[in-house]
Amino acid sequence: MTTLVTGGSKCGKSSFAERILDGFSGRKIYIATMQPFGSDAFEAIERHRKMRAGKGFETIEKYTDIHEISLSGECAVLLECVGNLCANEMFSGGEIAAPADKIAEGIKQLSERAAELVIVTNQVGSDGISYSAGTAEYIRVMGEINRKIAGYADNVIECVYGIPVVLKGEMPC
Amino acid sequence: MVMITGGAYQGKTAYVTREFGIAPEDIADGRSCDIASLSTARCISSYHELVRRLGADCTRFTEELCRRSPDAVIIIDEIGCGIVPMEKSERLWRENVGRCGCIIASHSEKVIRVVCGIPAFIKGERE
Repeated sequence: MTTLVTGGSKCGKSSFAERILDGFSGRKIYIATMQPFGSDAFEAIERHRKMRAGKGFETIEKYTDIHEISLSGECAVLLECVGNLCANEMFSGGEIAAPADKIAEGIKQLSERAAELVIVTNQVGSDGISYSAGTAEYIRVMGEINRKIAGYADNVIECVYGIPVVLKGEMPC
Repeated sequence: MVMITGGAYQGKTAYVTREFGIAPEDIADGRSCDIASLSTARCISSYHELVRRLGADCTRFTEELCRRSPDAVIIIDEIGCGIVPMEKSERLWRENVGRCGCIIASHSEKVIRVVCGIPAFIKGERE
């Protein structure tokens, strides 16, 4: 089962995503995509580590090239989050890359191998602000990736201030 | 407690006056109201702007309000679905609105999201 969890900033996406895997008794893997640069990132990483503590996740830090992850055996995977992964892919080289297919396909490979996959993403296109070309392109690519993942996901859930709203499939927990 | 959310100008306040019989003059405006008198307010609008005024105290205040005013109607914009702001204070405000919104939603029997004037009950049911 593949579930995409989306929503805005601090809307309870992570805790909901973790809750989906609460009942899974096998190996649980957390794929962290946020690079620990800057105090904000450091704080966010610490906060999420504390939230996951005691829930039995192994952590894999993978900032780009998600397709390189190989999973073995029966496992549940929580990937957090597509927003960071996309920014890392787009802005870490000299030129701005267009990684929509690369990311959507990489995550699709995980969905085919994991017993349970939960993907956390972000809604970034609804603030109505006109941004510079690079940021505007980021919003476009995020929209494209989210549509592609939603296409193959069994469930798509939007979190609104902690309340999960089913957009596709059914409530996974 | 009832929470009304949705984007700006979606008809949240009009929905509250229509469905809950609360007169516009009985709604405390989070942008300008007297914070000390909010514990008796029937309805608070623009709670996201109240969060800005409360600063670091916002989550404590919100938890206290939820305990003291279990019958209040809270109107709060959905603001988190955009790009992370460059300015640190704007980033903090946006995160605080998310946290306070989650607190209010968890205490609410009903959470209603108004889009284009149309209410969707995302928690609880229409009576």
